[in-house]
Amino acid sequence: MRRLEPLLAPAVFVSMLAALWLIFMVVPTEKEMGIVQRIFYFHVASAWLAYMGFFTVAGASAVYLWKGSAAADRAALAGAEIGVLFCTFVVITGPIWARPIWGVWWTWDPRLTMTLILWAIYAGYLMLRAFGGDDEGVARYAAVLGIVGVLDIPVIRVSVRLLHGIHPNVLNQPKGSGLVDPSMRLALYVASIAMLLLAGWLAMVRMRQERLASEVAALRRQVEGRA
Amino acid sequence: MRAALAILRKDLRIEWRTKESLSSLIVLGVLLLVALTVAYDPTPETAATLAPPVLWATFVFTGLLGIQRGFLVERENDCLAGLLGAPIDPASIFAGKLAANLVLLAAMQAIVVPLVGLFLHVDLGASLGGLVVVLLLGNLGFAALATLFAAIAVRTRAREVLLPVLLLPLLVPLLIGAVKATEHVLASGLAAAGDALGVLAAFDVIFTVAGWLLFTYVVRD
Amino acid sequence: MDNFPYLFAAYAAIWIGLFLYVRRLARRSRELEEEIQDLRRQLGR
Repeated sequence: MRRLEPLLAPAVFVSMLAALWLIFMVVPTEKEMGIVQRIFYFHVASAWLAYMGFFTVAGASAVYLWKGSAAADRAALAGAEIGVLFCTFVVITGPIWARPIWGVWWTWDPRLTMTLILWAIYAGYLMLRAFGGDDEGVARYAAVLGIVGVLDIPVIRVSVRLLHGIHPNVLNQPKGSGLVDPSMRLALYVASIAMLLLAGWLAMVRMRQERLASEVAALRRQVEGRA
Repeated sequence: MRAALAILRKDLRIEWRTKESLSSLIVLGVLLLVALTVAYDPTPETAATLAPPVLWATFVFTGLLGIQRGFLVERENDCLAGLLGAPIDPASIFAGKLAANLVLLAAMQAIVVPLVGLFLHVDLGASLGGLVVVLLLGNLGFAALATLFAAIAVRTRAREVLLPVLLLPLLVPLLIGAVKATEHVLASGLAAAGDALGVLAAFDVIFTVAGWLLFTYVVRD
Repeated sequence: MDNFPYLFAAYAAIWIGLFLYVRRLARRSRELEEEIQDLRRQLGR
């Protein structure tokens, strides 16, 4: 894995460029939605990455609680930051896409609602870590939250379906059902890979930074102890 | 199990003596209810739509404060440290506190629910059985998560504001289920609320177990 | 074809988000750098 590291940045660069090329130069304009449909590719890719981030938080949190591994704690933090970042993309590009097509900025569409709730849960995770104080226990509390958040996902999924009742909601079209052209599917995959590599890159940088920060903090404590 | 019951009895006895939490919960619940409903003069149809969310909004906000207060009081007197010093499984502490919080919630609801019927001109007596089922299911899930996170919030700096911030997003599915279930129960009866009750039951199981397992990690100091 | 502003807005949002995060990373790195320099000085004393 370490040997592949220098390849990461060029891979991000190339894949992102490839995705953009496919989205803007190759994919045909969608019949019903027009050019706004091109938002879809990064919108869905971001959603996948957001969920990956949140599952990473849960997994890393579990490892941290079980084994006390500081590296796991750093992975949880990075996963949460990047998960919330990509989740923000979903929640912002969603309405931007919805407005010209359906005429409203927001609908309590099950998927969008669920993404919003998850955004709030993990934004809360970041708040806990930022404002919870310097107590060593904060990492543990955050880990508990990280796990509980993911446990909520299935219940949220089921509960948001209660929202629309029997009336078929014309706004409630499954997104991406119109992937008619194979190049569209390719564009989605490439965009997802690009986002995945980007997220991986950011995570690597963030985790390394966090490790450095804790070493520096430990060093500072030593120096101050001496004085 | 015995430890949990002991803690439950201790908390209830303390509460019965001072009645501090209970009285402030009830007063707060009534005030919130008044604030939510005073400007509204509902027709029977709109009342049926308004009652479920008003009920649950009141329960959630009042419940949050009450449960948080419970832990705050313990922290001030360092009771938790004492409890943990004893050879009690922290999970039992969770169970005991959860039970105590359930009693507290039920007591508050016993006053607020009839008042909702009064203020909104809704006949709750007809659906009382179904309503109680929804309340029990909703309370359990709410109290499970609230107990777990109140223990966390009380140990952090921004405690008052942190508990709602952390808890409310997590509670959304419970709220959806509870409001929908209440709606169905008031409209036609318990049978119609099947889906919503399923959501509540799932929530309860997942988070009671999760709280039971994770509480140790919160109080381990 | 008149929905270009929305398309632009969506991509701009993603760009802005990424930029802000990367800037935050860079700032934090710089702060760490300064702290290391500071500690070095103190230890050299």
